[in-house]
Amino acid sequence: MSNKLSSSVPTDREVVLGILNNSEDALNRLYTGYFPMILQFIMNNNGDEDDAKDVYQEAIIVLYNKIRSGDFELSSKLKTYIYSVCRRIWLKKLAQQSKKTTNLSELDDVVAVEVDLEQHEEKELLFEKMGSALISLGEPCKTIIQDFYINNLSMQDICEKFGYTNTDNVKTQKYKCMQRLKKLFFQT
Amino acid sequence: MRNDIELDAMIEDYLKGNLTAAEAEAFEQLRTNDPVVDHKVVAHKAFLETLTQYGKVLSLKQQMDNAHAQIDVEAMAEKMRPHPSFIVNLWRKNKSAVAIAASFLLLTIFSVYSIQHNSKQNGTYEVMRREITNIRNNQNKLVRTLNSNGPAPKTRKGPSGLAKFGGSGFALTANGYLCTNYHVIRDADSIYVQKNGESFKVKVAYFDAQYDIAILKIIDNTFTPLSNLPYKLKRNGVGMGEDVYTLGFPKDDAVLGEGYVSSRTGHNGDTTQYQVSIPINPGNSGGAVFDNYGNIVGMITAKENQVEGAAFAVKSKHILEALNAIPSDSLGRKVVLSKKNPLQGLNRTKQIDKIQDFVYMIKVYN
Repeated sequence: MSNKLSSSVPTDREVVLGILNNSEDALNRLYTGYFPMILQFIMNNNGDEDDAKDVYQEAIIVLYNKIRSGDFELSSKLKTYIYSVCRRIWLKKLAQQSKKTTNLSELDDVVAVEVDLEQHEEKELLFEKMGSALISLGEPCKTIIQDFYINNLSMQDICEKFGYTNTDNVKTQKYKCMQRLKKLFFQT
Repeated sequence: MRNDIELDAMIEDYLKGNLTAAEAEAFEQLRTNDPVVDHKVVAHKAFLETLTQYGKVLSLKQQMDNAHAQIDVEAMAEKMRPHPSFIVNLWRKNKSAVAIAASFLLLTIFSVYSIQHNSKQNGTYEVMRREITNIRNNQNKLVRTLNSNGPAPKTRKGPSGLAKFGGSGFALTANGYLCTNYHVIRDADSIYVQKNGESFKVKVAYFDAQYDIAILKIIDNTFTPLSNLPYKLKRNGVGMGEDVYTLGFPKDDAVLGEGYVSSRTGHNGDTTQYQVSIPINPGNSGGAVFDNYGNIVGMITAKENQVEGAAFAVKSKHILEALNAIPSDSLGRKVVLSKKNPLQGLNRTKQIDKIQDFVYMIKVYN
């Protein structure tokens, strides 16, 4: 089963290029390629499918950021890298849940990923704050901010979407929303 | 308020690079002049970066969720879930180790086997030769069994030519009574005994198939009575571990075989026999087994095929019984057994020197 899946695993080079080019196909293949490995790892170590999904996605994000940051060097195989990241994340989660971790074999082939993970954790903290700030911001501010800053819609589009009479109103609204968001963000 | 909005829009445009060159220059001027504006620019920039990255992560997660939805996680998980059985888990976790161990084992077995096989080469030659003789023996036995309809003989020792078998025997009395195995002389047409190149014709005086004992009488005219026998038949049993030796005729000359009594019972717990650890060969059958004092404690009868160094000797007690069972009129002259034992105290070489004259090679023609 895993053999069949791994046959569709893209080469490491394909993945890196695909990620740099924002290719969704590359991501899909990367994701489906290594998921079984992580699923097996998590399930053999006191986890379930959902844990595997969370851990795996986090690892992919770490990998993504590392590749995107530009200074990515293939010092190991991607598979090993992903496995190492997942392993570290899962160890941490287990420690937090204070479950038994003794049977997590220490002899596995792993690479040092501590630095990458620290950066990732810092960012993750920021993202969490941002997420909760956006949620407590409420509508329509949340959507306006997301549309303008994340989805890169123009003032004109937003104006039409929300039925504002002119873009100045949108600008004012957006400014107010932004001020509140900043307040919420830095408050927490 | 209005100004703030304008300023904010300006900052955003500046950060996005939407300003014209002149505007940008004016704005940078404003930044250097007004630290408040500058601070706002930096703070806003950092905040926007976080926001966009957050957005990217969100979309990445969305993409991954899409990819995740394509995987049949449930089925996959079912296969990988730790099995309730301990053994299956053990197997899954140690698959590679087991594989390595197994291949190592295979390799070892293979190499040991091949080494043994190679070193066996010389031995096989010998074995083959022996098998040919065995086949001949087996055929002979078969014919005999068909003819006589009796039980198959235990062993048939020492064929020394076509339709001619050989065994060993020893003198029981000075006047020409010899003892050997019944299976040696079984179905014989004529029997001769040979000693120092002299051959004498003998006849069967008595036999007991059950104990595998036969008593022969030399009937040849050229036979001169022997001097007194140097050994005597031991009436009691001997203990395990007793050093014993036998003098037999696996070839045309007497051959000494040394060993010890290894068990008080013989084949399959046969109480009429000892098991002795003496290397014997076809032709040794009927050879007397002596202890250290020169007493006859038994007579070699057979050896075990599958076991190394396990030969069987019928106990001397039964030889005595056989002697006593011979009706006195069939004996003719009275069988005399030496009561004193002149061999006692002599060393092995001297003992053998004296015994040699009283052991015979039995030749059977049929």
